[in-house]
Amino acid sequence: MLKATIDADIFKEAIDAISALIPECRLHTDDDGISTRAVDTANVAMIGLSLKKEAFDSYKASKSQLGIDISKMKNIFGMAGKGDLISLEMADNAQKMSVSVHGYNYSITLLDTNTIRKDPNPPTINLPGKIVIKGEDLNNALKAAAVISDKIALGINPKDQTFYLVAEGDTDHIRRDFSKDELVSLTPAEARSLFSLDYLKDMGKVMSKAAEVEIFLGIDHPVRFSFDIAGGNGHVEYLLAPRIEAD
Amino acid sequence: MGVAIRDIIADYKAPVTWEALPGTAVIDANNALYQFLTIIRQPDGTPLMDRNGRVTSHLSGILFRLSSFMEKGIKPVFVFDGKPTALKQATIDERRKIRDTAGEKWKEAVERGDEAEAYKQARSSTRVDTAIIETSKELLGLMGIPVVQAPGEGEAQASYMVAKGDARYVVSQDYDCLLFGTPVLVRNLTVSGKRKIRGRQITVSPERLVLSDTLGGLHLTREQLIEIGILIGTDFNEGVQGVGAKTALKIVQKGEFVQKLAEKQPGFDPAPVMDMFLHPPVTDDYALAAGHPDPEGIRKMLCDGYDFSVERVDRAMEGFTVKAGQKTLESWF
Repeated sequence: MLKATIDADIFKEAIDAISALIPECRLHTDDDGISTRAVDTANVAMIGLSLKKEAFDSYKASKSQLGIDISKMKNIFGMAGKGDLISLEMADNAQKMSVSVHGYNYSITLLDTNTIRKDPNPPTINLPGKIVIKGEDLNNALKAAAVISDKIALGINPKDQTFYLVAEGDTDHIRRDFSKDELVSLTPAEARSLFSLDYLKDMGKVMSKAAEVEIFLGIDHPVRFSFDIAGGNGHVEYLLAPRIEAD
Repeated sequence: MGVAIRDIIADYKAPVTWEALPGTAVIDANNALYQFLTIIRQPDGTPLMDRNGRVTSHLSGILFRLSSFMEKGIKPVFVFDGKPTALKQATIDERRKIRDTAGEKWKEAVERGDEAEAYKQARSSTRVDTAIIETSKELLGLMGIPVVQAPGEGEAQASYMVAKGDARYVVSQDYDCLLFGTPVLVRNLTVSGKRKIRGRQITVSPERLVLSDTLGGLHLTREQLIEIGILIGTDFNEGVQGVGAKTALKIVQKGEFVQKLAEKQPGFDPAPVMDMFLHPPVTDDYALAAGHPDPEGIRKMLCDGYDFSVERVDRAMEGFTVKAGQKTLESWF
């Protein structure tokens, strides 16, 4: 059972965070709120998202799993304006969810959760370097790099106490060093890994709205991004596998 | 099969290397599928089939060819034909007749044990039917390759998308695309490699035609190129008997198109055909963003559904599911 209302902007933010990686997901509901964890079809990136009940205007739910077509949701909420409320309602074991937004009442058929990939286990990865940066600064750096390349190296220079992003195109090169005072904080450690900008661009767009993003880095290891949504009542974690650096 | 202007544009065909081809390529789907079906065959002409006898040549072509394209940085978009125009009906009927005859000759050749003839006839009997198109679309969807449905001719839609700047070039074997106004046409991409032509083994490499160079070199406008097409015959009209590309070029360069046509085909109005090439039905309703490929779905369709080898499919998928050098999270779970 689910009966909830939520500010359209907050819910859109959550849906956008998921849709950056996957077109459909298994949403878990319980007393405390909703959550999902999923890897993309290529097994390269993972998202973990939770939205506490405090993020909702009203919230009541029993423990359940819903198969959600995220791409469809994204389109539905596209028409919601500022200050609109979205209401979600579903009976126990129902196949459909009622969604109301901006005077439109949808009845959305849920996906069979058996057809959605199993939730991945949260991996335990030791990532020694940690950067806390403004979401907007991070997104701008990723956007700048995407102009000249499809991959980017993220690293920490412990000696200079800097966080850097370097991208190498076929003919061009870009580098951005963030000194310690440009960052919220830096836990220096030897770290450098290369990532695909195809993924980072989409994640960056979502992260640009976060006041602070925590980045965890290692050497040729995945990167983990961790940030709040819904004014602190929700949380997102992205994990992205690295590319191998060519010599 | 398209318009036979090959003889006059041979000088403007330039070999092109794979390095020069990255970017969005609009593939004339029906043409590519036809190529796959004709080329990917067993020595006696039988197409590749699964154990239930369903043809899989096109699926093989899509997976293996496209994965190698994508590995080379080409972003393919498939444009499928919509409804054929009434103008094309005669061509369609004619092709069907050829296919049917070839189908019978193929059977006879197989019975005789004449492998070379069987192969030749089997190729001529190839047709791109609904099942081929539907299964192709399904596989393209799983591979994350955008599919565009043309309102009319696929070549027209493809040419429009390149002219508009949404893609770099059209991939087709047919020169019609030049008449439809594509700024750049790349041929032989879907068929590159070793190929048997009229019984001989030859190596085919991609070649590029730039419309402006071709027109400039021949001192023609695009309208005049279409006039040449009309004289020798297009998919939409029967040409003038005895007029080939070189003769047509001379006629048009001398400005005798209208006169010649009136003389040889009185009562035929070339205006609808001209209009078909200049203003074909096209749509702006398409999305070119590549989706995420679904390796599990591809394996399920091809290996479980059509008896493809898991190993070969997996190896081909490396070309596009994860970019070269991209690790997956699996190593850390």
